This record gives sequence, structure tokens and C-alpha cells, in this order.
Amino acid sequence: MSAYSYLTAQEIPTLVERLAPHFEQVLVPTEQKGVKESVIFAPWTKGSPISLAKATVPPKAAVFPKCETLFSYKIEKDTQDAPKLTLNPEIYAPKTLIFAARPCDALGLNILDRPFLQSHYVDPYYAAKRDKLCVVTLTCPSGCENCFCHWVGIGPAATQGADIVLTAIKSGYVAQAMTQKGQELLEKCAFKDGTDKVPEVNQARKAAWESLKPAPDLSQIHSTLAQSFADLDFWTQETQACLSCGACTYFCPTCYCFTITDEGDAQSPQGGQRLRSQDNCMAQLYTREASGHNPRPNKALRMRNRVTHKYMTYKETWGAFACSGCGRCIQHCPVGLDIRAILLAAIARTTNTPDMQGGK
Amino acid sequence: MSDVTTKELRIVGFLCNWCSYGGADTAGVARAKQPTDLRIIRVPCSGRVDPLFIVRALFLGADGVLVSGCHPRDCHYSTGNFYARRRLEVLKQFLPILGIDSRRFEYTWVSASEGQRWQHVVTTFTEQIHSLGAAPKFMDVEPKEFKLGARVSTPILPLGAGQDQPLKELKTAIKEALPKLEVVIGWQQGRDPLHAVPLFMRKAEDVDKLIWGPCNVHNVATYLREYQGHKVGLVLKACDARSVIELLQENLASREDLTLFSLPCQGTFDYGRVEQCIGRYTQLSDVQFTQSAATVMVDGTSKTLPYAEYMQSKCLRCTSRLPKLVDISFGTDPTEDAKDARESAESLPPELALVESLSLEERMAFWRASMERCIRCGACRNSCPMCICRDHCISDTRDPHFMTQADTFLEKLFFQVIHALHLAGRCTECGECQRSCPLGIPILALRQKLNRIISELFAGYQAGSDPSQVPPLLCYAVEEPKIKEREW
Amino acid sequence: MVTPAPTTNPSRPKMQGNPYVPMPATVKEVIQETPVIKTIRVVLDDENARTNFHFEPGQVGQVSVFGVGEATFVIASPPTETNYLQFSVMRAGEVTSAIHKLNVGDKVGVRAPLGNFFPYTSWQGKNVFFIGGGIGMAPIRTILLHLLAHKQDYGTISLLYGTRTPNDMSYKYELEDWLNREDLNCNLCIDTAAPNWPHRVGLIPNVLKELAPSPKNTVAVLCGPPIMIRFTIQALQELGFAPEAIVTTLERRMKCGLGICGRCNIGGSYVCVDGPVYTLKQLQSLPNEL
Repeated sequence: MSAYSYLTAQEIPTLVERLAPHFEQVLVPTEQKGVKESVIFAPWTKGSPISLAKATVPPKAAVFPKCETLFSYKIEKDTQDAPKLTLNPEIYAPKTLIFAARPCDALGLNILDRPFLQSHYVDPYYAAKRDKLCVVTLTCPSGCENCFCHWVGIGPAATQGADIVLTAIKSGYVAQAMTQKGQELLEKCAFKDGTDKVPEVNQARKAAWESLKPAPDLSQIHSTLAQSFADLDFWTQETQACLSCGACTYFCPTCYCFTITDEGDAQSPQGGQRLRSQDNCMAQLYTREASGHNPRPNKALRMRNRVTHKYMTYKETWGAFACSGCGRCIQHCPVGLDIRAILLAAIARTTNTPDMQGGK
Repeated sequence: MSDVTTKELRIVGFLCNWCSYGGADTAGVARAKQPTDLRIIRVPCSGRVDPLFIVRALFLGADGVLVSGCHPRDCHYSTGNFYARRRLEVLKQFLPILGIDSRRFEYTWVSASEGQRWQHVVTTFTEQIHSLGAAPKFMDVEPKEFKLGARVSTPILPLGAGQDQPLKELKTAIKEALPKLEVVIGWQQGRDPLHAVPLFMRKAEDVDKLIWGPCNVHNVATYLREYQGHKVGLVLKACDARSVIELLQENLASREDLTLFSLPCQGTFDYGRVEQCIGRYTQLSDVQFTQSAATVMVDGTSKTLPYAEYMQSKCLRCTSRLPKLVDISFGTDPTEDAKDARESAESLPPELALVESLSLEERMAFWRASMERCIRCGACRNSCPMCICRDHCISDTRDPHFMTQADTFLEKLFFQVIHALHLAGRCTECGECQRSCPLGIPILALRQKLNRIISELFAGYQAGSDPSQVPPLLCYAVEEPKIKEREW
Repeated sequence: MVTPAPTTNPSRPKMQGNPYVPMPATVKEVIQETPVIKTIRVVLDDENARTNFHFEPGQVGQVSVFGVGEATFVIASPPTETNYLQFSVMRAGEVTSAIHKLNVGDKVGVRAPLGNFFPYTSWQGKNVFFIGGGIGMAPIRTILLHLLAHKQDYGTISLLYGTRTPNDMSYKYELEDWLNREDLNCNLCIDTAAPNWPHRVGLIPNVLKELAPSPKNTVAVLCGPPIMIRFTIQALQELGFAPEAIVTTLERRMKCGLGICGRCNIGGSYVCVDGPVYTLKQLQSLPNEL
């Protein structure tokens, strides 16, 4: 069977319905009411509406939840006997489908894979969820003001990290299997063959590319940032508006900082849980040591850490950016702080002042 | 689905050490018959009872909470219960907005000798809780979303793009003042002409970037906490200035450090609404501002944004274009013409109107649905000009351990309660918390409700109106004309 | 316990199994070292874990007090000590305060070994000069005892241990022995003069300059508070120590200890896996973010 299936726009819910039986959990973009439009990945049940809009919150929680239990603990103390300590690790990993993520979301998952799976230790909580994850992406029809995926090496039609890629064409959608897993699933869904629509798909993807504004060359950005690293005035200047809230990190598909906390008294009847929660490197408390010493005491240093992690140190370690260009950090920043502007300013800084290399 | 299997309900009592705890003791020694539902926590003073303790208890499953202290004028620490009375009354009136019946919380005064009175109080309150039954639990309520209703459609003051305001004069004035100031904070164009970002003017050429108009949504007074003790200038909209005044009221800023600039504000965009028109991820070009609307090409299609429809609801209800406190301003304030429109200004804002239109149970469902999508990014807190604890927020501390990291809507709603209660009598309703929320959660409703409670209780008090006023929860009156004491 | 063969570079021992789940352990002994420093000795509960547990000097462990949290400490006992794991803890934050409240028999959790270790095989045949400041003596103790156990492989072993006052000295029960040992040149100092103090007086960098160890064929190993490290490194450089001959061990706020969570990094180097032991030369190649 071909790698391409064709379906009409009305058949999108049918596609989800046919995919759903193969999963314990299907996360689809779902529109939320409120004082502004927001779309989140919510569990799908038959009949629930599916939005194909780009989600406000990336789907990274499917593998790296907002908060998860690492294990529960309990100490039973008897006056006579030695105390008894019980630790129960909990790894919750339902078979999950992420439906209609965008290429930047899928790339984000690949970026998370490296530190969680290929570093010194394999993270068992992440690995279990990632192993059971299947991703269907929808390519973007055009570029926009605040996303910049083509700056970081992908683009509106990128297929990395996806098992199945959907592309909108005039008469509907073409689903393209990218992996063995995707191929098998698509076969089971039994839609019409879409091979004859491939030229239209390519045209749609090309049109998306053509709508983009030209991107700067970021191939040397890691060394540019290394040169700007010690220039505190530069970082202070670029981060003046920052409120240190951390919205940029929580809405980022590639940020993976976390904290570990114990919640609940070990000696209480119900014991407690050790939780891992997404955390935020923009917070002052993040790096403050018990002694009071803080290696990153102000917002300029914290933003420097965030920016250099994404474009310098992650790249030095893994050979790729820790940014998929989704633009959510720009979109959701309360003061519109633009990470692209920082990169461009760093480039301008090094080109304008070659004698200042290495900082001051 | 109550956890309580016996007839007893869970009632938490916070009793002051000097009077009510003694009163309960007296009742006990006298072997006065009392219901046994009450679990007593002894506190040094009713003034020690943080309203958050009460909300926490109710969130965690208490069916009722009773606070009892010394009679007013009898406080062991002379004024603790005067402060408590204000706080507790505000809390009592605030609870219903969360979906909690205000009868589940009472505060009373019982002295150490009043054993009989204690018996009466505890019996009456327990009966009251039993008549209400076990408290409905948030966990048992199905989340439900509700759509905001229509808002006031005619602005009190005409809206506009502010393009004809004397910006040039303002720029000259800022340039003149700049040598004496470390920085002047205003706005410049952001990623596209339809978005502004804060501008930090340190050199004359920075001033040329200053813009004025409907995109200047940010309240730059938020940056004041970072510049405490520094000579700074702020370019303010009339509503932003209220935050500055409130900070002055609380001695968190000093007047001589500040130079305040302003132009008449003709309204700013509600980007939630704007995005509904222009989309969230689109390409924009050809932005034009006329006096009645902005036009923009969105992905090649022309769109019009009439101000009356796309500006913030606070702007529709705004009655003053220039700040009450300003050093250098240009242009005129047509406030005088707007006197008749006060009534319209006092109408309920849409967020609050929505919540108030719901039953208590629907409110619980509403908050559950709203808070479930919160991802605790902290934008609401950090963009609030009145959140001055900064790196020492009690929601972050582990000791005391007010909040857990657990990702439940109740924890997240509790965070909103912390924020709202810490702003009681201080919030200037600039709306930055809600504007900053990337998920559009109508959290402003909680602040709006508190402001209306405060205004009702304390002679029309409005935070940020007069630098010499003391915020009402930071002071007390011996007789409180608007606070009705419990008769039992 | 395996003692690594002196000629081969030992491979790094790592945590086994689910790296987030601590090994249950029991407090065997609590020693009040100073008013703010306590040493706890813990024994792993599981016999298998006990026999399979290996670490190298300089590696760290995360100690859990369940219900409060975890904090990172260097394993201050030498690898040759198989009866217990020792952690010296200064009371500073929430977890350390909870550790100070522990009694013998209490349950804790240990995630260890984490991080790298002192490159002691590369010091063979050289003199080693140890410098410990305050609580920074803990990591020095583990490697010092390890080297003394393999004395024959090294040149002169010296120690300079400084604290604010005599009361702040940890391991007092061992100091007498150290001072008397033939194979250790032990120097103690305190910041300001105190009655009945027979040893040196002065800040560590100044005392170091007085002692003026020769950089020739010598490695300097130091640990202490950030300010002491900064000035001691300066003093060592003035004495002529090359950056690759200065070894320090860093402390950072850590959570996962596995090189993921993003708290302890200096640029791209994660102190929890790439450290905590660094030579000055390595540190110089990293962004200046101490």
C-alpha cells in the first residue's frame, strides 16, 4: 500500500475515530472558551470537537507532564520496631496519540529525546511515555509574524518527529506515513489512496515555504553567542523588559527544566509523593542555593542561560538547536520579548564590534 | 460523596488564645453541652488568622470555618481584632465568587468569661453548618465552561487611535528630563505595527522610538519595583497611574524619584478580541489607524478593527483620560463631560457579570473548567504592578508550605485566591493579570469582585486614587458602619 | 569494596536501576561536628545494594529526607570504608535542617554515586596539596583518606584546613591523628586569633602563601565556599601552579543529579554529571558563570 492516503476535510473526525481504537489516549487540539481564544491538547472522546488550529500549549506534556509522581513514600513508625520505609515508583505511560500537532511541536519532541534518552542516564518516566507515543502532524499553510521555524532549520512543512503528516490541499487532506508505525496505522484506517495528490501536496508545501520572510543565517550563532556571553551590558540591555515570569519556558515545546519536590508527610497515614514538575529557569529561586549563593542572581543572567542553552550549549552537546521556532515564547510573553531580536542583536554586536570578541 | 461517614461534619475553629479559647475552656469547665464537630486551632490573636487559612481549610474539605476572637476594643494586643474584622468580613463576602456559600464561614467575638456565649455560638454555628449539609466538593463538580456575555457597547469617552495627540511635545519633554533620570519607560513598536512592547529610554535617540496609541497595553508601573530608589520616568496611561499612586500609598515608591509623563489615552486593544479577528499565527501588513478603527492586511485579506469592539472593556468604562497624578502632560482631559456616565461606569464588567450570573455550583464548575487549563506560568503574577514580594512569593516557599506542586485545578485556583486576597484593597484593576494570561482565563473577575466589596464596605474606596489615603486593610476603624456584627 | 588498581584509570561508577528512586538507608551514627555541621553515617538497607555499591572519591550522593526533599552532598567517607556512607551536612536550608533533626535509626534515602571523581590516578608520583575551607573539608577528607591508604603511589601529601574559629573545625576526633601522622603534612588555620590556638592564624589564601608549597610536580586540590575558592585559586596561581594542576570540586543547587533538569549547569557542563570535580583549566574553558 502507498504511503499516502487522501481524505476530505469532513473526514478529519473519521480519521481520529479510526485511529483512536489503537490508543489509550488521543490528544487533539481543543478550543477553550475564555477571554481569548486558546487551544490546548485535550483527551478526545467520540464526538468531541477537533480544532486544527495551532495549539496555544505545545503537546510536550504527553511525554513530560506538567507534574508527575516519581514514587510515593511512607514511613511507618512503631515505638517498638524499627521504622518501615516503603517506596513505590509509579510510571504512568498510556499508549498515546497526539493528533494535529504542528511540525515545530513534533521537532520539539525530538529535541526533548536527547537529554532524556541519550544522556548519562535514560529517564524511565520519559522513556516509557515516549515509547508509546505516536504523532500525527499537520503542516502549516503559511508562515506568521511570530514563528520562525525556518530560522532553526525546519520549516512549515517539516516532517521530523512525525509518524503521519497531514497536509491540507484544496480538496481536503493528504496523510503521509513517515514511519513504519505510521504506515501500519494508516493502512488500518483504510482511506482512499492519495498518491495521485502528491503533486498538490508538494505545491501546498512549497506555497507555505514561499510565504516566509527571509531568515538570517544562524549557522554560526553558537559562536556568536559565545562571544557575547561575558558582555553583561548586552544581556542587561536585551532583557530590560523581562518580567521573569517564565511563560516563555512553560509554553516552549523544547524546554525541559524540572524540579523535584516531596509533597506530603512521610509519617502520615497516607504518606506522600515525590513529584517532578516542569520548572522555570527564569525564576530567581531556580538556582538559589541553600547558602543564599546564586550563580544566576538577575534576570539578564537567567535569560542568557535560556538563550545560550537553546542556541549554544545544547548545540555544542547535541549538534542541533534546542528551539523549534514555534514562536510561542514571543506570542505569550506579557511584554512581547522577542528571542529573535536577541539573536539578531548578538549577531549585530559581533559584526559591528569585531575588536570586542570575547567580551569585556 | 462526603468522606465523613458519621453525622459529624468537619468544622475548623480558629480561636484566639486570650479570649475565645478561654471562653471555650470556661464552657468546658462548666460542663456546658456543646456539639462535637468543631476542631479547634488555637491562635495568638484573631488578627493572626490569614484569610488564606480559611480558604485552604474550605478547599481541603472543611464544611465550615469559625474564627473567634476577643470583643472589639478588648484585644489583648489592642488592635488585632480590628484588622481581623475588616479582613474577615471581606473574605466572607468574597467566598461566594468562588462558589462557596458564605454561611460556611463566620467570625464572632467571645471573651474568656463568656462560657455560655461560647456554648451558644458553637451550637448556632454547628446547626447552621448542619442545615447546609456537607460542603460540596470541587472534585465532585463536573467542569463546565460558560461564555462571556455582551459588554457595554458604548464607551463613556470616545475612543480613538491617539494619533493626533501631542506626542512630539511629549518626546521633547522627555528628552529634556532625561539627563536627570536613569531611565524613562514607555512603549515602542513590537514585532509588527499592531503590537507594542515596553521601551526603556536612556538616550535621546531612544525617545524617538516612543509611540502612543491603542497598542500601548502594558502597565509600565510594573517595572517600578525593579527601580526602587532610582530616579525614573514613566509614561503613563490614566489607568496605569493608579498603580503608581497605590505604590506611593504603600510607601513602595517615593514621589521624588518619579517623573510621570502622560498624554490623553483614548483606549487600548483587547488582544483577546483582536486575535479573534486577525488570528493568532498570521502575517500582517499595512496597519493603518483612523480615528474610529484600525485596518490591517491579514494573510492578504483586509480586516477592520473598530475600536468600540476591539478595545479593552476597562477602556469602554473609563471616565478619565489623563492621570490623577502626573508631572508633565499635554492635551486635555474631557472628564467633565463624562459625569453623567458614572452609572454606566459602575455597571459590572463582563467577567464579573458572568460569574455573578451563575449559581454557586455553576461557579465551582466554571472555576474548575477555567483553572484546569492553567499551566502555572506565572505571567499573571509577574505582570501585576502590585505583586511586590517578587522572589519571595508565598506560593513558592516551602516553609511555610502553602501550595504544593501538584498540578490540580484546586491548587491553581488557590494560587489565584492568594493573588486576589493579597491585592484586596490594593488592586487598581489595570487588568494586566488577565491580559497576560496566555490561556485567557477570566481571573480578573476575582479582583473585580474584591474591589466592589471593598468599595461597598469602605465608603467607595478605590485603590490608587489619592497618594495620602491608607489602604483599607492596612488600617481599621473602631466602629465599622458597614460591617454588621454577628448577633449570636 | 573494590579498590581500583593504581595503574588503570577506573571507570565511573553510576546509579543502577530507576535513577530517581533512592536506595532506602538507615542512619547509623550522628556526629555533631560543629554548631552548624553534623555528620551522618548511613547504611543501605538492602544487602544486595550494599554489596554492589561502589564509588570513587569525589562522587556525590543525593540524601532524601522523605517529606522534605533531597539535597546533594559529597560522600565524605573513603571508598575503602564499606561499613557506612558518610555525609557531612551544614545546616542552611530546608533539607539540611531536616537532616540535622535525624536520629540514629531514622530512615533516609540515598541516590548515589553521582558525578565524576578526583582524577587521582593521574596524580601518582606527584605531591598532593589539599586545601579545605569550612564545610569544603568533606570532599577533601574522602580523597585524602583514599590517598593515605595508597601512600606508596604518591609523593608528599599535605593538607591545609581552615575555618573561621576553632569551634568550626569538623573531624576534630581525627585532626590529632592527622597532625601526628608521619605521612601527612597537616596545617590548620583559623581566620582570627583565638585563645589556646596552637596553629596558624589567617585567611586560607594568606596562610597558603606563607606555607608557599612548591608547584613543582605538585597538584593542588581545594574545596570551600565560593569566595575562598576564588582567592585561593589566585594565590595558587601566584605560587606558580598551572591551571591543570589546580583541582576543585564545585557545589550547585541540584535536583535530578542526572544531567537533565538544568539547574547546575555552567554553560553546557552539568556539574552533577560532568563535575563536581574540575581542574582550573577545565573551568577556564567554560563560560564564567560561578
